[in-house]
Amino acid sequence: MKTPWAWLRQRRGRASQWQDELDSHLAMRQEWLHAGGLPADEARRAARKQFGNGLRTLEDVRAVHVTRWLDDFLQDARLAVRGFRKSPTLAVVAIVTIAVGVGAAAAIFGVVDPLLFRHLPYPNDRQLVSIGYFGPVDNNEFNVVASYLDWRRQQTAFQSMTSMRPAPASNCDLMAEETPLRVNCVSVEANFLRMLGVRPAIGRDFTAEDDQPHAPPVALLSFPLWRSNYGGDARIVGQKVTVDDERVTVAGVLPEGFEMPQLGAADILMPEQLDPTRPREANSSGFLRTFARLRPDVSIEQARTQMLPLFQQTTQLDVPKELRSEVRLVIRSLRDRQIHDVKLASWMLLGAVLALLLLVCANVANLLLARAAARRRELAVRAAIGAGRARLVRQLLTESMVLALAGGLLGCGVAWAMLRTLIVLAPEGLLRAGRTALDGRVLLFALAASLAAALLFGMAPALERPRAESLAGSRVAGAARTLFRRCLVAAQVAISLVLLTGASLFVRSFWKLQNEPLGYEPEHLLTASFTLREARYGPQASQSAFFRDLEAKLKRIPGGGLFALSDSIPPRGSMGRPYSNIRIAQHPPVAPDGGMVEFRWVTPGYFRTMGIRIVSGRAFEESERASGDSPVILSASLARRLFGAENPLGQQIALDGDAHWCPIVGVAADTRNNGLTETDPEYYRLRMDNASLPRGGVALFRTPLAPATLARWVRKEVAEADSSLPVTFQAMPERVGQFREQPRFVATLVGSFAVFGLLLAAVGLYGVLSFLVTQQTQEIGVRMALGARPRDIAFEIQSHAGAWTGIGIVAGVLCSLAVTRMVKGLLFGVAPDDPLSLAAGIAVLALTAVLAAWIPSRRATHVDPMVALRYE
Amino acid sequence: MRTDRLQGALEMLILKSLEHKDNHGFGITLHVQTVSEGLLRVEEGSLYPALHRMEKEKLIAGDWRTTENGRRARFYALTASGRKRLAESENNWTSVAKGVRKLLRFA
Repeated sequence: MKTPWAWLRQRRGRASQWQDELDSHLAMRQEWLHAGGLPADEARRAARKQFGNGLRTLEDVRAVHVTRWLDDFLQDARLAVRGFRKSPTLAVVAIVTIAVGVGAAAAIFGVVDPLLFRHLPYPNDRQLVSIGYFGPVDNNEFNVVASYLDWRRQQTAFQSMTSMRPAPASNCDLMAEETPLRVNCVSVEANFLRMLGVRPAIGRDFTAEDDQPHAPPVALLSFPLWRSNYGGDARIVGQKVTVDDERVTVAGVLPEGFEMPQLGAADILMPEQLDPTRPREANSSGFLRTFARLRPDVSIEQARTQMLPLFQQTTQLDVPKELRSEVRLVIRSLRDRQIHDVKLASWMLLGAVLALLLLVCANVANLLLARAAARRRELAVRAAIGAGRARLVRQLLTESMVLALAGGLLGCGVAWAMLRTLIVLAPEGLLRAGRTALDGRVLLFALAASLAAALLFGMAPALERPRAESLAGSRVAGAARTLFRRCLVAAQVAISLVLLTGASLFVRSFWKLQNEPLGYEPEHLLTASFTLREARYGPQASQSAFFRDLEAKLKRIPGGGLFALSDSIPPRGSMGRPYSNIRIAQHPPVAPDGGMVEFRWVTPGYFRTMGIRIVSGRAFEESERASGDSPVILSASLARRLFGAENPLGQQIALDGDAHWCPIVGVAADTRNNGLTETDPEYYRLRMDNASLPRGGVALFRTPLAPATLARWVRKEVAEADSSLPVTFQAMPERVGQFREQPRFVATLVGSFAVFGLLLAAVGLYGVLSFLVTQQTQEIGVRMALGARPRDIAFEIQSHAGAWTGIGIVAGVLCSLAVTRMVKGLLFGVAPDDPLSLAAGIAVLALTAVLAAWIPSRRATHVDPMVALRYE
Repeated sequence: MRTDRLQGALEMLILKSLEHKDNHGFGITLHVQTVSEGLLRVEEGSLYPALHRMEKEKLIAGDWRTTENGRRARFYALTASGRKRLAESENNWTSVAKGVRKLLRFA
């Protein structure tokens, strides 16, 4: 494609060639005259004289080549700029308004573009899908090894399928010299990169041999890890590094900017080495994420139809009976899988900012209409001396184009600043690291937005036909125009009401989220998480011993306050169990389709440390840990569900479908244990000395110590127990706060859009009313002279304002009700048609309208009849 | 007589000048002047815009060449559609001239 620069260079080249041609003509004439006997200098003079005005000729030649419309446009643009310099306030207000509107729109577009529109960084990205079982176990579709192996072998819908092990198993320790570095190792199938269409930057991809069980371990390093830890040295390929106590050969390095299809972190990729020879039971508990590439002629729907028999077949084989009714097959595009929880928020923000842009257009249109009213005479004169209507319309459109382009240019600056702010503010899921920037696409969007805006607001004054009677300077021609302007104001009021209602919904929702009791006390709670490595703590006995040892060490930290150990903590869910696994001694079986139950292994101090109330019965006791029976504490909602009105204390239940009976010793208050909004039923088991515990652990401290001090102590104690075990610290309020980031971000943004929108609506209303007052000065003067009271005049002006605002509010309420329903998924504890939010929006708007109307109506009451009458 | 006073005359003169030999702008002025024995003169101010317009209409094609005297100049050559146009305007012109002559004699 020709670049604009090449085009410009060519144009300039052409222009200088025209000059060259004329010069050569002159030179030849001069030569010819000289040869005919004239002296050299006289020949030059004669040649010039004969040639005439060279500049003029050049201009005429140029005119042959330069298209007319461009010249006309430039002429109009010059005229427009000159015109705007005469009324700079209007131009400045318009440009700034456009700049903010376009800038905000471009910035939001910059944020959502990678999420919603831009190609994912894989060739033919539209063919990529995520596929798997979907059930109450996880928020995303998953697969199990046994089913996947069958699917992969028998499927017909896909070019290829690939798999990876999901995140919980991905932490690993890379030995960087002497100290362990916690990195993310992800096990993937050998064809993982090939299926995505990605090749290593250096070194080789995994081969089928690497993926055989017990093959010598190899790894691909991520580009950033390679840069930071190995100095970007290509010689690392073929060398061995230590990952989780194992010597692993580096096969290659991933390309820069590589993204995992599920957007997880990945510092090291290793072959997952699925083993089809293992017994089916063993393979059906191995979790996977599976992805596939559709055949070019197969749609997602067709693929689902083709996969359904396979899915049903493997469901019978691999899914526990009690869960079969709860799982279904999910195939969705990779993009949907990636943006799944921010899709709605992205569309909503884009919608809100486009509404704002629309408001901006309405406002500028209003400004230009006011200006056009003042220039009616000028336009009428131009029409009278022969300017065609098309020419006048074109000039008016050019004026708005000039405004829009100036505003758009400034808007790019606004977008740049706003994007930088957004990058700081935005929660993780809403930002695609490294892909959110002010790039060509965003700039193009800004340009398109400005031009579209110019058309929108430029149309209004351009459509007004200049009339001959305007020449007389009479004010009669204004009626139609003010009607149009009133409609504009009503539309502005409606749009800003929608924004306001949305904003108050989000703010209320966020407020609720902030103040909803969680069932536990996050203040002063510090957490330290770690995961034991399988290789080092293989046998269960050595794990329990390590946990006991660590517990004893951590407990004695001076000033450590209350202490507890668990395998997981809210607000994230635990690895849940099916409700239907639970059995109650001497009771009929529980209902089969009860969803999932949260479950944690805790030490006796857990409830006091977390601040969870024991509703009845008691907490665990230290003395029970060595005893034979393994006590259980239920959450209130689980107790209610299992026992209804019956007293759960002293009952025996079996938890994993087996006959291991556990006594219920207490009932704990409910907590928000699945995010900040959901309360799942939950039970707690005591960490028995002989229990087989998960390898992950979270130590909890309720302490007045500073986090950094405690962290130092904990590190020291952990290092004494196992010097190669990395620990991650986080204060509980911060952990909880992460869940509020997106609602806060959304509330802040929509809130600021609404405030700006409100301002615009107020300015619009004020502008129209002032104009009206100016236009009616004479009439008001007459009426005052005839004895009208200032109160009546003011009332009339305000009732105008009231009427338009009222119409706008009615329209706005209807729109709000329609629009807010769509964002239901983003709200917590507030209904989309929440009357309070709507009322708040209306109240704010009405108040603003009154204020905006007050100034012009006051001015109307101060009209001096004498001055007004003398006016003409 | 100045050739730009007659609509279409300049175009025809240019086309005719190029009929047998490619030429540059100066060459065309010289050719017209010599052949018409000084009766017709082509103004540079009209010639060049006309040349460029005709080139744009693809009646003639221009390119830079070197003259016999070793000077760089832009030479123009007739294209196929230029030849066609020349034939048309010659016919046209002849009938116009014939008509005008009759009209003048009549009075």
